[in-house]
Amino acid sequence: MSPISRRRFLGTAGMLGAGAMLAAEGALRPARADKPINFSGWVFKPDTVKDYVDFYNKKYAGQVKYEAIPWPNYHPTMETRAFSGEIVDVMYCTHNNRERWFENGLLRPIDDLPGADELKKKMTPANLDSLKSKDGSKLLGLPYFTSLFVLIYNEPMLQQAGIKAPAKSWDELVEHCAKLKKDKVSDTPYLPNWNNSPSGTMPQFMSDCFSDGANVFDAKNRVIVDQEPGAARAMERWQKVYKAELVNPEVLTKTSSTDTHRIFWTGRYAYHTNHSYYLKTIAGEPENSKLAPKKAKLANYPGNGQSYMWTDSYVLNAKSKALEDAWKLTKFLGGNLNGDWYVQRQWCLISGLDNPYPEMYDHPDIIASYDRWIDLKLLREQYKKGRVIAAYKEPWYGEYDTKAVAIVHNLIRGGTTVPKGLKELAALQKSLA
Amino acid sequence: MARELRSPVPAAPSRVATTRRGGRAIRLPEGPFAWLLVAPALAVIVAVVAAPLAYSLWLSFTDVNLLRTTGPAVELFGMRLPLYRWVGLKNYLQIFDDPLYWASLWRTLYFVGAFVIEATLVGLGVALVLNERFAGRPLMRSLLLVPWSLSRVVVGLLWIGILDFEFGAFNGYMQRLGLLSGSIAFFKDGFSALNVLVSVYMWNQAPFATLLFLAGMQSISEDLYAAAEVDGAGYWQRFRYVTLPALRPILFLVLVLCTVNGFLMLDLIYVLTMGGPANETTTISWLGFQTSFAFFKFGPGTAILYTLTGLCLLLTFLYHRLILARFEPEA
Repeated sequence: MSPISRRRFLGTAGMLGAGAMLAAEGALRPARADKPINFSGWVFKPDTVKDYVDFYNKKYAGQVKYEAIPWPNYHPTMETRAFSGEIVDVMYCTHNNRERWFENGLLRPIDDLPGADELKKKMTPANLDSLKSKDGSKLLGLPYFTSLFVLIYNEPMLQQAGIKAPAKSWDELVEHCAKLKKDKVSDTPYLPNWNNSPSGTMPQFMSDCFSDGANVFDAKNRVIVDQEPGAARAMERWQKVYKAELVNPEVLTKTSSTDTHRIFWTGRYAYHTNHSYYLKTIAGEPENSKLAPKKAKLANYPGNGQSYMWTDSYVLNAKSKALEDAWKLTKFLGGNLNGDWYVQRQWCLISGLDNPYPEMYDHPDIIASYDRWIDLKLLREQYKKGRVIAAYKEPWYGEYDTKAVAIVHNLIRGGTTVPKGLKELAALQKSLA
Repeated sequence: MARELRSPVPAAPSRVATTRRGGRAIRLPEGPFAWLLVAPALAVIVAVVAAPLAYSLWLSFTDVNLLRTTGPAVELFGMRLPLYRWVGLKNYLQIFDDPLYWASLWRTLYFVGAFVIEATLVGLGVALVLNERFAGRPLMRSLLLVPWSLSRVVVGLLWIGILDFEFGAFNGYMQRLGLLSGSIAFFKDGFSALNVLVSVYMWNQAPFATLLFLAGMQSISEDLYAAAEVDGAGYWQRFRYVTLPALRPILFLVLVLCTVNGFLMLDLIYVLTMGGPANETTTISWLGFQTSFAFFKFGPGTAILYTLTGLCLLLTFLYHRLILARFEPEA
């Protein structure tokens, strides 16, 4: 064994030391984004979000710190944080809070940022409109997801009752339900989303009004249902199905659309109206739903087929000190950073959460995935009939939307007449505007 | 022989306290010295109790917009506290003008009344049972605390599992036993749903009342019961003339706690009904929560909740007058 000279020993030790220091300082790792980014969202599959944030940090050399906040207090929490001076660079924001955040300087429009114009061109016009500011001049965020109300039916139950095709009109749907009850196939065959949360009764009310050809708001966003015969028809039908005990009587006190759709898993209902993304769990998750795989089917929304559609979003904090990196993350989340729709595609595959980029639905993975639970072509057709509103951009909308639920519930239960109930809705909006 | 009387307590401290600073003794009068000792605790109380209370009370007289970043403000430890526009009694007048406020208030009074009566009677009844000697008593006393120790969200979900129209265990078992042909919809109408809320909350809170009553019962001298028995008193007479009077301070405590808890109950409404159907389970606390956190109207929201605070204080005062006014503790 040859002895090690002092010079060689010092040289080797020096190289090892320098290597260790470089590794510790990160010099041997990929270059990092300039500044750390804070990203917050409400709790929905937080592990999935964490996975794609990790993916982003690795692939794009990001320094994103993700935090999930419970849904009930998400928006007040974000406002309180802004109030205390904290800057969350990228945030989830529901459609009905976007305008408020914009008007109060919490979020910044994204029109001037690189690549925004290309993404605008790829979005369906209705969704693009809904993401814009009240005056239509600014784009306030990129889409987290879009959804609309759909009609789902229990095929085995209809077959059992000798009903060959799902209802095409609301009258036919009521007729089917009455028959199913009379034949003792189901005690309560219809499950509308009349739950007590903001995602339940009022979006369902708008959907059924639209499908009956009624407008809910006029061009100035005033409630005009008291002047719309279609709205009266929809409400008379709601009273009728409730009185005939065709619906689950406790649906009015369900606290979320999620709870409501789970009732349909039992297979004891023939028809269900709810958000489109519940199709995945109802018809695609046999471990949860008795109507999976594909025993529950999508049907055209009755009447003229129109139903309420909305778009929730990722927004940029107006005070972000790392705008470039925050925008890069926002494009990764709500667009196609470097041409890859990674996050939007993941949501489609994992949860059936749709997005407003039609080109996404040509992807073979997405076609194969949807095919496991639903008729994608029919769903895309339904989206073409989705109707967005602009009223949620008004400052009074949140309060109107919540307080109106009590009026509509009273109406459903026959506590008031249809004309009087609809007048009360219009009066409520007027009192808040 | 006259005995020297000695005080059982140590001699009172001198009127002047002595402390040292830099080797020199500093003599402070007793008053300032006492203030010096309690000052840290007082500072903490002011910072975490008094100041937030005063700020929230002040908010109820202002037009609050959390997102407003301009206008007058005070800077406190690096945090900007905006001075919102003072609107005087406007928020209070606005809520008093709202029929929903009054409907919620009467509903709250019904809820609190029913809950206080149920929780007190059940708590007392269970305490009487657990005060007797029987096999398995220690286990029963331990199990008693389970409902009370559960989070209210869990309690709500548990009772949905029992009472739900579609999935509920109650309806399921009743149908299997042939006692029901269809399902009972406990949450179908508002009055029924409100009573379910009362009972579920009682199930959650009565164990604590039991615990307090039980502690009170165990501090009653056995001699009193023995003497009553010698005088020919039966079980109910002993309860009426020995147990109940001795439990008066505990009863006061239970009533105050149940009343305050009843007024503030919010989480079960959130989990079970969200104030519906048609606002028929909306109480003042739910209305205040919604106004503040759903409509972002923190001014009227805090005003609603301060009326609740006022009611709690009023009822505590009344309980004190009715229950404790003539009560004199033993020397």
